[in-house]
Amino acid sequence: MRSRQKELLELLDKSGADLYALLTRLTLREDVAEELMQELFIKLNNSRGIGKVANWDAYARRSAINLAFDWRRTQKKKVLALGQVAEPASNDNSPLGKLIHSEEMAETLDAIGRLKKASREVLVMRYLQQESYDNIAEQLGKTSHQVRALCSRAIRHLRDVLDSNEHKSSKKEIHNVANQ
Amino acid sequence: MSQINENEIHDRLKRLSQVEPAKGATDRAMHRIRDTLMSEKAIPKGGTGFQPVRARPGWPCHVLSLKTAFQQGLPQILMKLAAAAVLMISAGFIGGRLSAPEPLDVQELRAVLESSLKSPLEPAIRQEMLAEIENRLQLALADYSDTLKQELGQQVRRDMETYAEQTLTTAGNLIDQRLMGLARMLEAARIKERQHVAAAFDYMGSRFGDSLATLAARRDNQWGAERVSPAPDISEN
Repeated sequence: MRSRQKELLELLDKSGADLYALLTRLTLREDVAEELMQELFIKLNNSRGIGKVANWDAYARRSAINLAFDWRRTQKKKVLALGQVAEPASNDNSPLGKLIHSEEMAETLDAIGRLKKASREVLVMRYLQQESYDNIAEQLGKTSHQVRALCSRAIRHLRDVLDSNEHKSSKKEIHNVANQ
Repeated sequence: MSQINENEIHDRLKRLSQVEPAKGATDRAMHRIRDTLMSEKAIPKGGTGFQPVRARPGWPCHVLSLKTAFQQGLPQILMKLAAAAVLMISAGFIGGRLSAPEPLDVQELRAVLESSLKSPLEPAIRQEMLAEIENRLQLALADYSDTLKQELGQQVRRDMETYAEQTLTTAGNLIDQRLMGLARMLEAARIKERQHVAAAFDYMGSRFGDSLATLAARRDNQWGAERVSPAPDISEN
C-alpha cells in the first residue's frame, strides 16, 4: 500500500468523523458534506506538493473549510431545482424553529464566507469546531495571543457584515411594501 | 448603529457548532471514502484516469468527475498508444524522406520555367503595356488639351483687349493731331484769304480812289461847263 494512502486512511480513521461534521456544519447538508469529503480526500491523494505537509489533520481541516465555502459561493450563483433542495441538518424539531434557525445559520455562514481567509479559518476552528486557542495557534503557526486577536477581529467583522445584510434586507422590505 | 450584538452572533455560532450529522450518514461517508482510497491502492502514482463505475452505498453509481480524472493524469494505456503513434509517424516520415527522389535543382528549374514562360508572355505583356501607356497618354493629353484651350482662349482674350485699348488710344491721338493740323491749315487759309481780300480792297481802294478822283474831276469839269451853257433837260437823264 502506498504511504500516501496509508496516511490518508489513518487520517480518515482519526479525523474523518470530525471533518464530516465540519463539512455538515458549513454546508448544512449531509449529502453535500459527503460529496465534499470525497472530493477532499481525492484532492489530498492527488496533490503533488503534499509531501511538505507536516500536519495532515490541520491541512485537511483548512482544505475542508475552503471547499465548503467555495461550494457556498457557487450555490449562491445558481438557482437550485426543487428536487435538489434537501432538508437542512438541524437539531430543532419544530418546523418554524427549523426554518428560522436554518435561515439564520445560512446567513451567518454566508457572512463568514465573505470574511478574509485567515479570519474565516479562525472563526470556524474556534466557534464551530470549539477548538482551543492553543490548538488553533499550533495549526496556523501563530501564537495563541495572535489567534485571540484574530478571533476578536473576525467577530467584529462578522457583526459588520451581518449588520450590512440586515440593513439591505430591511431596505428591500420597505421598498416592497411601498411598491405594494 | 449595530443591530446584531455579539451575544447573538455567539449564539448563532454556538447553534452552528451544535449541528451534527446523523451517525448513519457519517458512517456511510467514511465507508465511501475508505472504498475510494482502497480502490486507489491498485492505481499507480499519477493515477490511471477514469474511475470505474461501481455501486456505492447511497449512490446508484459513482463516476469521478472529468476534472478529477484529468487531474490524475492520462491513463497509462493512452500514454502507450500515444507513444506508439508517435513512433509510427516518425518511422513513416523518415521512410518517406529516404524513399523520395532527389530534390530538384531549384536554380535550373527556375531558369527553365523563366525561359518557357518568358517567350510567350513577353510580347503579349509588351503589347499590353504599350496599349496601356498610350491609353493613359491619350487620357492625359485629353485632359491637358482642354486645359490648354482654356488657357489659350483666356490669353488671346487678354491680348485682344490690350491691343484694342492701345489701338483706340493711338487712333484718338492721331485724330487729335490731324484735327489740330486741319485747324491750323484752315486758320492759315483764312488768314491768307483775308490778306488777299485786304490786298484786293487796297488795290480796289487805290484804283477806285484814283478813278473817283478822276471822275470827280471830270464831273467837276463837266459841271463847270454846264454852268456856262444852258441847262439840259433833266428828265431825259
